[in-house]
Amino acid sequence: MAPSLLHPPSQLSPSSALQLSQQAPIVLRDSPSTVSSSPFTALFSASETADLWIKYENLLLSCLRTGDERAAHQCLERLVARFGDDNERIMALKGLLKEADAQNNDELEVVLKEYDQILSENDTNIPITKRRIALLRSLGRVSDAASSLVQFLKFSPTDAEAWSELADLYLAQGMYPQAIYAMEEVLVLAPNAWNIHARLGEMQYMAATAPGGGGPSYQKYLVEALKRFSRSIELCDNYLRGYYGLKLVTTKLIKDPAKSTKQTDEGEFTLPDSDTVERLNELATAKLSEIVRRSIAQESGWRGFDKLEVTAARELLSEDASAASRIER
Amino acid sequence: MTWISKSITVVGGVLLAHACYSAQEHSALQSFKATASTLTSSPPTAASLPIDIAIETIIALLVVIFGLVLGTRPMRPIQWHVWAGKLEREGEEGFLDSEGEVNRDYVGNPFRSLETRPGFIDIRKQRKEFAAWVKNGGGQVSQ
Repeated sequence: MAPSLLHPPSQLSPSSALQLSQQAPIVLRDSPSTVSSSPFTALFSASETADLWIKYENLLLSCLRTGDERAAHQCLERLVARFGDDNERIMALKGLLKEADAQNNDELEVVLKEYDQILSENDTNIPITKRRIALLRSLGRVSDAASSLVQFLKFSPTDAEAWSELADLYLAQGMYPQAIYAMEEVLVLAPNAWNIHARLGEMQYMAATAPGGGGPSYQKYLVEALKRFSRSIELCDNYLRGYYGLKLVTTKLIKDPAKSTKQTDEGEFTLPDSDTVERLNELATAKLSEIVRRSIAQESGWRGFDKLEVTAARELLSEDASAASRIER
Repeated sequence: MTWISKSITVVGGVLLAHACYSAQEHSALQSFKATASTLTSSPPTAASLPIDIAIETIIALLVVIFGLVLGTRPMRPIQWHVWAGKLEREGEEGFLDSEGEVNRDYVGNPFRSLETRPGFIDIRKQRKEFAAWVKNGGGQVSQ
């Protein structure tokens, strides 16, 4: 089934992106290039829908990704004809196209200068600000990108996407406490996002297991991660990613039990007793094996899982089983 | 609609039609009687429907409603965790309409954009990754 053009294509696999961009000539031929706003022509032609422009935008992104610049330029032309040159979203798309066309770093610097120029005229242009930060990061100037992003979040603190980007930036630099803080801000803005809960859990697990991450905060991160994964499962039944994380964390907690009760005395966090951890581990194992079994058997109603995630879960389970049999022997 | 609900609805419809026909015949008979009674000058009878026709109408209505309710599609989950679980577990397949097309309002996980961040896409990296994927023969696998 071909993916819909109505959703942003950023999370698609390469093959579905290719599928989408191969549709480009058909879509471009069948859709009207301009829609007249005069009431007389509206009587005779199909009325304008918002879907059409979303389609063009998503097609533009897919085509850029697959290197079909001609179709991308056509999409952009139609969007410009409809919304004009000074629409903020269109400006960002134009910049994106220029970034994709740039051959070397000098040309990218020119694009960056253009962004700065636009921002000096209107520094509340959010799409362009985001493009500028993304370009800075793409050029490898990570600290510049981070400081611009912090600046941006000062005047737009409710932008969950930007907080999430900041978390990712910090995580890439290995600054775990900052990354976790930024991710918690995302959760404040979207408290029901089960994937963000799981992502935060993953970050805390990474912080706990990172080299040099041991020490007093090791247990604290693990317990926090345990909480996050549990919450993601609470928000979403049969959440493979949540159970996977839960299994990893509980296995770790069982392997190295609390070295001392010193940390609990500080009152910052309390370690769940080993009985609870054991039971959570069993639950995660049972659920993971059920998901893997049913998903591999392609049972109806169990086909929505990502193939790679299922494979990873199966490997984790078999690793766990072999470790268990080694202990028994 | 399954065949059970369809046949129940049809049975109810037949019962309803039958009740209507009976009522019509009954009133025709009543008016004939009334004209006959004016000739013989006997007191006119009350022109109300007999109880069996009324009962038949109500039962027919209930049967039709039952048949239609039986044929509705299963309800969407209203609990957050059930709905989210359905999204993850079934993917697009759980959200088909009666024509077998994916529902228009289906968006998958609505919070996924917080992780993919479309406003911050690094288009050059995506292009490089795509080129690498093509080079590794990814194109042949998908065909």
